[in-house]
Amino acid sequence: MGSSLNKPELLKGGKRLDGRGFDELRPLRIEAGVLKNANGSAYLEWGNNKVLAAVYGPREAMPKHVSDPTKGIVKCRYMMAPFSGIDDHGRSGPNRRSTEISKVAREAFENVILLNDYPSGMIEIFMEVLQSDGGTRAAGITAASVALANAGIHMKDMVYSVSAGRIGEHIVLDVNMIEDNYSDADMPMVIAPRNNDILLLQMDGGLDRAQFDQAVKMVLEAGKRIHAEQKRALEAYYGSAEKG
Amino acid sequence: MRSIVLPGEEAQGARHAPCTYYENGRVYSSAIGMLDTERGGVIPLEGPWSPRIGEQVVGTVTDSKNHVYTVDLSYYCRALIIGSRYDRESVEIGDVIEATIKNIEDRSVLILSYPKTLLGGVLVNIKPAKVPRVIGKEDTMLRQIEGLTRTRMVVGRNGVAWIKGKPQDTELAMRAISLIEAKAHQQGLTETVKMMLENESRNRKGE
Repeated sequence: MGSSLNKPELLKGGKRLDGRGFDELRPLRIEAGVLKNANGSAYLEWGNNKVLAAVYGPREAMPKHVSDPTKGIVKCRYMMAPFSGIDDHGRSGPNRRSTEISKVAREAFENVILLNDYPSGMIEIFMEVLQSDGGTRAAGITAASVALANAGIHMKDMVYSVSAGRIGEHIVLDVNMIEDNYSDADMPMVIAPRNNDILLLQMDGGLDRAQFDQAVKMVLEAGKRIHAEQKRALEAYYGSAEKG
Repeated sequence: MRSIVLPGEEAQGARHAPCTYYENGRVYSSAIGMLDTERGGVIPLEGPWSPRIGEQVVGTVTDSKNHVYTVDLSYYCRALIIGSRYDRESVEIGDVIEATIKNIEDRSVLILSYPKTLLGGVLVNIKPAKVPRVIGKEDTMLRQIEGLTRTRMVVGRNGVAWIKGKPQDTELAMRAISLIEAKAHQQGLTETVKMMLENESRNRKGE
């Protein structure tokens, strides 16, 4: 969160700084199967965010002591490219922030991947942020979900992620960098759309009960559009399949 | 009628079969695939191989210790051949072999039996999800490629194929395999491959 002393005006004429309404997403485009060497991959552009996700595996779990003969394990790596950020946001190499996001993303995916199908195996998920503008963990997880489906990994559901925030009394959807830094609350969520299960919920700032309920409702509503784009990307990749 | 299903989508009309899971009386797809309502299943479009007893595999022997041979199947689980003095054929490190899965121990160690050494030839990797199409119904596709390219082929369910023939014939067989991989989900594939191979052989004669 930025300093409250130099807090910029985040709403102008009932709209947000980039001209969006409160429940409007930034333009989202996903492309599946962009990397030849990976088992599955996806490239995502979400507003100014650009993320590349790749999935490898199942391969032999390494190091050996982490392998589990009853089920597979998931390894996740979220990393920002050194050139991705505007300020010092995207420093290269593992840091506290990327370790945290890798962990929460891994835990979200462990809930949907059918790990019993891959005993002693390891599934590696890479999320590389090429350009960042707030909400990169949501962008990374949404892209990685498409990459997992593209790799043919057995999953219960294809998750999506988006964040909600609060500017004054207004709940807003899909916060960008400046809103993320100066808004009153920021709440990224990961949802499994089949039953609307919440797999990840983090919150920075504060929301009261009514505001929280409204934020969840907005996220679930927007999720339909995000899931539709994920589906479109995969169907475009396997395009001629339906003509079969 | 076939349509694409994504993980988590209800596979209407499918039985509880591979690539699906069952929850609250309904069957859902667990992988990206084509929903086949006629046979009631999901045919995966991508994905790793899941070994089953009795399947034929192709691999390279990489290690041996006390008559136990380790075989590289381009798969993450270990594969072993336990040798005995009654074996008709002995294998050595570096041999390319075809074998049958006799048993799966601890869900992650494959025990192979009846190894046969494959001499010469080249190994080609195929996406495991496309192997059934390369083989075809009752081996039709495989026999067709072998016949039209004058090669010998052994296709392992693990996604490794062995091809033996003249270099140009081998190359043609490899191209046929890539064509199948690219168009695996389309119908009338046997005809498409036949046309491609016949055109190629005609062009070669013309040259």
